[in-house]
Amino acid sequence: MAEVALINATKRFGDVAAIGDVSLTVADGEFVVLLGPTGAGKTTTLRVIAGLETLDEGAVRIGGREVSKEAPALRDVAFVFQQYSLYPHLSVYDNMAFPLRSPTRRVPEDEIRRSITEIARMLHIDHKLQNKATRLSGGEMQRVAIGRALVRHPSIYLMDEPLSSLDAKLRQELRLELKRIQRDLGATMLYVTHDQVEAMTMASRIGVLKQGKLVQLGTPREIYEDPAETYVATRLGQPRINLMPRRLFPSLPTPSSAETIGVRTEHLKIDRHHQGAARVARIEHLGDQRYLHLSLEDHSIVTLAGHDTDLDVGDSVALQLERPLFFDRDGMRVRP
Amino acid sequence: MNEHSGTISIADKAAATPRPVAVRVRGLSDKGIAWLFVGPTIVLLLAINIFPLIWTIYLSFTNYAANRSGEVKNVGTRNYERILNDADIWAAMQATAHFVIWTIAIETVLGFALAYLIDKKFRGHGFWTTLLLLPMMLSPAVVGNFWKFLYEPQIGLFNYAISYLTGIDRTSFQMLGEVSLAPWAIVIVDVWMWTPYVMLICLAGLRSIPDYIYEAAEVDRASPWRQFVSITLPMSMPFIMLAVLFRGIENFKMFDLINLLTSGGPGSTTEVASITLKRAAFESWRTGYSSAFAIILFVAVFGLANIYVKALNKVKQR
Repeated sequence: MAEVALINATKRFGDVAAIGDVSLTVADGEFVVLLGPTGAGKTTTLRVIAGLETLDEGAVRIGGREVSKEAPALRDVAFVFQQYSLYPHLSVYDNMAFPLRSPTRRVPEDEIRRSITEIARMLHIDHKLQNKATRLSGGEMQRVAIGRALVRHPSIYLMDEPLSSLDAKLRQELRLELKRIQRDLGATMLYVTHDQVEAMTMASRIGVLKQGKLVQLGTPREIYEDPAETYVATRLGQPRINLMPRRLFPSLPTPSSAETIGVRTEHLKIDRHHQGAARVARIEHLGDQRYLHLSLEDHSIVTLAGHDTDLDVGDSVALQLERPLFFDRDGMRVRP
Repeated sequence: MNEHSGTISIADKAAATPRPVAVRVRGLSDKGIAWLFVGPTIVLLLAINIFPLIWTIYLSFTNYAANRSGEVKNVGTRNYERILNDADIWAAMQATAHFVIWTIAIETVLGFALAYLIDKKFRGHGFWTTLLLLPMMLSPAVVGNFWKFLYEPQIGLFNYAISYLTGIDRTSFQMLGEVSLAPWAIVIVDVWMWTPYVMLICLAGLRSIPDYIYEAAEVDRASPWRQFVSITLPMSMPFIMLAVLFRGIENFKMFDLINLLTSGGPGSTTEVASITLKRAAFESWRTGYSSAFAIILFVAVFGLANIYVKALNKVKQR
């Protein structure tokens, strides 16, 4: 394992900069998650580190060594693709053995067998080792692809939404498993996802990408509680953070340039003993909790309500904001 | 229908559950309508495919000759016995085997190699693809005729090119006129004409391999050769086999090109099965005998193709 760094990396496709001036260091043994919507440059960032794309500007360093000009094979990275990139005519075992059987590696066959058996057990595919790769379910294929990366001990594991094609149950299971494996191996990992739960639960640090720029990098807690702009704030949290114009709360003390007030659902308290300006528009029952949809003038606001709530549609309530976040006209954070 | 019984309640019911097509079309059942659609095709198929086949089987057991009137006698399996003991027939089968095996071997190797090059997407690859595909789009009659000119010892470009490259006198050999060269002359023409076809199928195979598999292999440190052997070749194998199947069947019954180029000559060195068949049927007018030969060829091709398709499916399932 090693430290991996991108320094002022820019990659253009035609006139479009897929990533622009991105600097990012993944420390040895760290699990960094890149978060962002489609087209934000997450995958390109991974591909640039792997050497599947060459940088237009900037540099890639792996373990302190400049590798920008080197072929993927020489960079000692493992890559898990979003699609099941298995070798279809090979068995599961041979698929996992494929990287180890490279003539440049010279891993003895019994050593290969040992590590495949171990990893396969971890991923619950040990009973499928002799199957053809094409005779597997989608979830199994992706676990084989992950396994093929894990049998190696590369400088860094690069994973491009490896769990996105799996069903919810398996995704949750593998999420925990991957995190555990990463911790056990002390693996350096750069992981791309648009799933905020994966980002929050797995990452040591989260990097949020916006149109090819890294807009914030920090621990999940920092990103969640202290977002640098509305874009970052809306990436995390379910339901989404409530963004409301400042004029809705005239009595709230705010910094002068603040235009928008952001309040997470759990920080929006309802005072039902006071009549207020907000009206209950809809109540969603989710079993363990309830989403309360309120309308305040022409804005809709979502908050959480406990089981014991006796609120009904049409009731009017007063709102209390805890720990509000302020953003200026451009959506940038303003601190009081 | 039901114009007179169309009361409000019935109309309501009809709106709630759409009535089956059969009820709406003059009391025909759904199955009846299905037959109505498939019927004409089946009749046509019976008339131009199945009936001639059965009739040919019948004729193959008779001494029928199409140019003679007179009694048609049932001769049992005598036609078949004669064919299997006929040295000319076996010579024809050998000529066919030579033609089929060599054309397939050369076309597959060349076609795949060309497809591999074209797939590299160099500048202007579209133009080159089109250019390479041209021979395949010509009519065999045209190809046969102008290759005859190309093979002319005096004025032919082929002989000129050979003599230019090797220094051999261009009038010292005749591609179509010599026993040792004629079988290769027809192989060359077929390769020229049909390699693009094999290339096209192989290209489809190569294009069906997703890029990320190669990228995964690259990250996994597979050399270009290892990528070729463990990804490119096995993943395009079903396509290659399909091309071989198509060319095999086509060339087994190859007639037009060879008939134009050599008419089976010199002697009978390029007399492939289909030419022998045509001679027996329309020159010697031994209709019963040639029918038996046609049936034997049919069974042979059918059997081989079946075995081959089974193998193909096995490769596909891997």
